[in-house]
Amino acid sequence: MLTRSLALAAGFALAIAAPAAAAPAIGQPAPAFTAKDGDGKTRSLSEFKGKTVVLEWTNAGCPYVQKHYKSGNMQALQKSATKDGVVWLTLVSSAPGKQGYVSPAEAKTWKTSSGAGSTALLLDPGGQVGKAYDARTTPHMYVVDKSGKLAYMGGIDDKPVADPSSLKGAKNYVTAALSDIKAGRAVATPVSKPYGCSVKYAE
Amino acid sequence: MSRFFAKLLAAFALLAAFPAVAQPVDTGHLEAELVARDQSIAPGATTYVALRQKIDKGWHTYWRNSGDSGEATRIEWTLPPGWTAGDIVWPAPKRQPTGPLMNYGYQDEVLLPVPVTAPAGAKPGETVTLKAAATFLVCEEICVPEDAVLTISLPVREGLAEQNPAWGAAIAKTLAEAPAPAGLDAAFQKKADGSLALAITGAPLKGADMADAYFFPFDSTVIDHAKPQAIERGPEGLTLAITAGYAFQQPETPKTLAGVLTVGGKSYEVSAAEGPLPPAASGLGPPPAKRGGSDDGALGLPLAVAFAFLGGLILNLMPCVFPILAMKAASLAGHAHERRAAQGQGIAFLAGVLATFLVLAGVLIAIRAGGAAVGWGFQLQSPPVVAGLALLMLAVALNLSGVFEVGASLQGVGSSLASSGGMVGAFFTGALAVIVAAPCTAPFMAPALGWALTQSAPAAIAVFLALGLGFAAPFALIAFAPGLLSRLPKPGPWMDGFKKLLAFPMFGAAAWLVWVLTLQSGETALARIFAAAVVLALALWLLGAAQRRQAAGGRPAVLTGLGALLVIVAALAAVWPNYGEGTAVATSAGSVGKASVPYEAYSREKLAAARAAGKPVFVNFTAAWCVTCQVNERVALTSQSVADAFKETGAVYLKADWTRKDAEIEQELAKHGRAGVPLYLVYGARGGDGVILPQILTEGLVVRALKDAQGR
Repeated sequence: MLTRSLALAAGFALAIAAPAAAAPAIGQPAPAFTAKDGDGKTRSLSEFKGKTVVLEWTNAGCPYVQKHYKSGNMQALQKSATKDGVVWLTLVSSAPGKQGYVSPAEAKTWKTSSGAGSTALLLDPGGQVGKAYDARTTPHMYVVDKSGKLAYMGGIDDKPVADPSSLKGAKNYVTAALSDIKAGRAVATPVSKPYGCSVKYAE
Repeated sequence: MSRFFAKLLAAFALLAAFPAVAQPVDTGHLEAELVARDQSIAPGATTYVALRQKIDKGWHTYWRNSGDSGEATRIEWTLPPGWTAGDIVWPAPKRQPTGPLMNYGYQDEVLLPVPVTAPAGAKPGETVTLKAAATFLVCEEICVPEDAVLTISLPVREGLAEQNPAWGAAIAKTLAEAPAPAGLDAAFQKKADGSLALAITGAPLKGADMADAYFFPFDSTVIDHAKPQAIERGPEGLTLAITAGYAFQQPETPKTLAGVLTVGGKSYEVSAAEGPLPPAASGLGPPPAKRGGSDDGALGLPLAVAFAFLGGLILNLMPCVFPILAMKAASLAGHAHERRAAQGQGIAFLAGVLATFLVLAGVLIAIRAGGAAVGWGFQLQSPPVVAGLALLMLAVALNLSGVFEVGASLQGVGSSLASSGGMVGAFFTGALAVIVAAPCTAPFMAPALGWALTQSAPAAIAVFLALGLGFAAPFALIAFAPGLLSRLPKPGPWMDGFKKLLAFPMFGAAAWLVWVLTLQSGETALARIFAAAVVLALALWLLGAAQRRQAAGGRPAVLTGLGALLVIVAALAAVWPNYGEGTAVATSAGSVGKASVPYEAYSREKLAAARAAGKPVFVNFTAAWCVTCQVNERVALTSQSVADAFKETGAVYLKADWTRKDAEIEQELAKHGRAGVPLYLVYGARGGDGVILPQILTEGLVVRALKDAQGR
């Protein structure tokens, strides 16, 4: 009886702690997570401790994601960031059967065919990682600094439209955040409006 | 005849001058076209041209702030020199929840009017073409950006323009209903817990139905769209508790909250500055829920009345009514063979029931109109009332046991039936039955009462009357049906024994009420109520002795006086001084049952936490004075198979104890369209909505509900 009540109490403590961790906040430790990549290998945020990490939520069928991939904008960003020593994790939180969901094999194919320059493409079909970060749109971008704290979250740029011509003259918030971090400055715009399609979580 | 042709010709001429009806363009998931409010425009005047979207079923487009995802419709105009077009006048949007996210937009059909102004130098007689390149995102599950280039031609004519017969009225209506500033005062404050309190006051909000109030911000970053907005009413407005958006994580937090408030079917533009909240925007608690249950949302008056009648009928069978049934049976058996007397009693009983229901309904409506949160069974939430009822039960039991008699009926129950005393007795039997039965909301009664308490007073009273009729129906029917009456056994000496037997359910009822009282007010109340009970018993025995002496021809003034005095002392001792708050209500896990399921006291936070942790949740809304609840707990909720099911499914058991007044529980009940307990809710592990279980639980039912909850 005592052990059962203890277990219950612990369960409640956990349950109460979970949502507190689930609301990501700038300057707070970024929620830890693990997810599998296309090879079935389990990757975690903690393995990149000491490095700046970019998280990118994606859905290949979403017109807003296509704006950045078909133009090569996203791949260029990924390549320049990773060249600079930044870890770039692309996450897919679409549930099976929903737009953007990819099997591990499809994930590998898409990573190659799209010419992505990301460190890894991670699969989150249950949506746990997405919900821990409160990821709402594709794309939805997060930057975690070297100390593991959340430094940026929001849109990829300041042009929340699907039209590819909007890329011209757009202010890219992720690029700006990465250069602020590199220069040791506080990130000037730590939050912005994420825009795009809704993340296709399971109902 | 010639006049007819003239008219026809004029009509054709008019037609020729009509704004060219632009063909709608099917862009894939909607049909877009430009439509005009007026037939023409005068030089220098402003008219409205609307982008009409006829959206495929299941798809939607977005408001100016699309919410968590999506994109608002945009229009780029190409106009003749000197002509100008303003911004879209956005109609109030609808909320569109998608999974854990919230979007704001439009379904089916929407008109997005834009003001178009002609230059003063526009030449009457010419027809201009207005061209709009519209881009919009259309979403169902997936999103598709679509666009269309649309044109409309508009004649320039002097004078007041005629309304376009096809679209003029619809556009005018859209413009009239579009949110506009209405002189509302608004202010917001950031609370310590990070939430925002947005207080809005103004004449249009006085007396408005606030159950659906919602704030749509213009800026998508200032609030968390997906979180519910808790509503608190005030005498001149309302306060919304809103979860702050990420803009409040910026170094420079927003200083104003601007957007649209929709309330009671109307919408207003508001702009709130950070600052002290006006006091008239709060203090009256949350609005009574319209209808919690989404599936049975449209409970009309006839259905509610029918439910109430059925509920009243079933109430006769509920465990808390049993003692009263016993009394009714005794009284009916007493006059089974005097038809007119029986009928009189039937009517008196009915009148007693109806009068008491009306009084209770009146009190309930009056208190709720004052904004206080009370629900059905509220009368048993007050310790003095419970104590008083316990003593009343004891008195009735002692009466049945033969310790004393009521009125002049010393010669036995069968006599003087037609006397006014008998009628009055039947009337008060009815009243007593209602008072004690009220906390037992029977099946069918709960939805009806929940509905009634959110309606106008006449509708509520109709429901309460139907309830009373149903409740009194079986007794009245027996009294009036000669066939049934004659089947009852003939009165005789056996009746005395029957009467004394029926005293025991009443003693039981008294004991139960004392138990309720201790849960409400702690153990000190126990000493007090027992002392009062002993004094009352002594008093009634003295009165009984006086009655016997009087029957024998004596004049026992001293005995009668002493008895009466002691009755008053007992009643005062039970009712008068305030009862303490007592200890926390029923905190220990039920040790009485066969198997105990550990539970936690309910709170909104615990419910949210357990749901966030992905566990099924069983919420038991109960009260010590609700016998249905107690029976369910003993029969269904403490069985081994239910305990196993809880363990297997990892379900969390939350108990919302309504034995004492509790605004939060009250609100939760109201949210589900209920005005009383019991209410059993089961939430799915994967965020499934709360399912309402029947009011009479069985083991199998609970086990099935828990297993089902695991998978949804």
